[in-house]
Amino acid sequence: MRKAELSLSALVIIMVCFLGSCAVIEKGAGVLGDTGTISARDRDAITKTSKVVRKTFADINEEEEYYIGRAVAALILSRYPVYNNTALNQYINYVGNGVVFYSDRPETYAGYHFLILDTEEINALAAPGGFIFITKGLLRRCKDEEMLACILAHEVGHVSAKHGLKSIKKSRLIDAFKILGEEALQRYGPEELAQLTEIFEDVLGDIVEKLIERGYDRKYEYEADKLGVRFAVNTGYNPGGLADFLQTMVDDASKVSGKGWFKTHPSAEDRIERVSKEIVSLKSIPPPESVRTQRYKRSIKSLK
Amino acid sequence: MKKPLFLGLSLQAFGTLILVTILLAKVFIVRIQTTHLRKEPKFYAQTLTVLKAGESVEQISAQNGWIQVKTPKGLVGWIHTSSVAERKFSLTGLAQPLKYEASASEVALAAKGFNEQVEKSYRASHPGVSFAWVDKMLKIKIPSSQMKIFLQKGKLGEFRRAK
Repeated sequence: MRKAELSLSALVIIMVCFLGSCAVIEKGAGVLGDTGTISARDRDAITKTSKVVRKTFADINEEEEYYIGRAVAALILSRYPVYNNTALNQYINYVGNGVVFYSDRPETYAGYHFLILDTEEINALAAPGGFIFITKGLLRRCKDEEMLACILAHEVGHVSAKHGLKSIKKSRLIDAFKILGEEALQRYGPEELAQLTEIFEDVLGDIVEKLIERGYDRKYEYEADKLGVRFAVNTGYNPGGLADFLQTMVDDASKVSGKGWFKTHPSAEDRIERVSKEIVSLKSIPPPESVRTQRYKRSIKSLK
Repeated sequence: MKKPLFLGLSLQAFGTLILVTILLAKVFIVRIQTTHLRKEPKFYAQTLTVLKAGESVEQISAQNGWIQVKTPKGLVGWIHTSSVAERKFSLTGLAQPLKYEASASEVALAAKGFNEQVEKSYRASHPGVSFAWVDKMLKIKIPSSQMKIFLQKGKLGEFRRAK
């Protein structure tokens, strides 16, 4: 009888623990709600703690990055016209997304999208979240798909490593997170909205200044080169495409020299040296394929 | 006399097993607009369903940046790690009011932040900044079946030539 009592009490203890843990799990699942989404009440509870937890660029969520990226892209597009060539833009998106698949960060809030800018300036730009631009001038310098893929891979590297978000001044984020942490409303009141919009504008200013005017810190460019080489190789492209492209920029005396990439990037010679070292350290290097060069030449024919 | 003991022990073992299973289960939350639950761990594999931001899935296994998961509806497939954030449970203090620790990623996930309302406000004060091409750009989408052909023809990814 005592044994039966013992086992019964053991069972009761287990059930209590089990139900207790279920409650923990349920609390967790409750955050997601019945439909698997975050409930309004729990959203409020979590945001109330955000004042303490959210501090740096790394705490900017995917959706916020998307909205920052959209506005940075809009500002880039207010400076450069779009090259409205559907087929060529489509091709760029094939090459770009191929590299994205084999990158460190293949999925962002709304995915990666690539667009050609109608300027002879040599430039490629990446806005946070995956809005990537390449100029007609840069495309003209590409001799094959390997070169194009390596340049796009460099830009994907900037997005993957969140270099745009890292360019935001810390004080802006502290101000923004302070406003966001103090209130748990679903929608902002006029005062909060005005404050946040002002910070948003400053955030965009920080990123655009680096992207277009001053360029990222050198260490970010070197990192993007390194990532670009790795992503291109993972996809199956010959990484020599990046060094080949950079070579076209050495001692450039054309009209576009001093603008775009020339202005915002470290010297081509310096980058070639680093990229070459990176390539030498690779275990295996995919060879270029003529089938890719042929399709590149077919696609680029429509470039006017 | 032996029967209640046996029954008790069996239930105990069963209870423990369920408890351990629950404790070990990893739950992930979709942190991007949408992600595809795929039949295989490849971006061009067949889509089983589309998961939206905030939806939860439970991990079954993992390999090379991909997680095999089960949805609340019981669908099993693969998603990429870059599309989700891990849900962390706090299992301390069973006797105390139960609470969970909000990790930085969860806080970020739940936060309002820079959103559509902020963009709308920004656009109202900057009418010269056009978002028309940004929206057009977002509509450029490559179907995964076409992407597979592109990779295949270009001897890229899994289709590259063996050395």
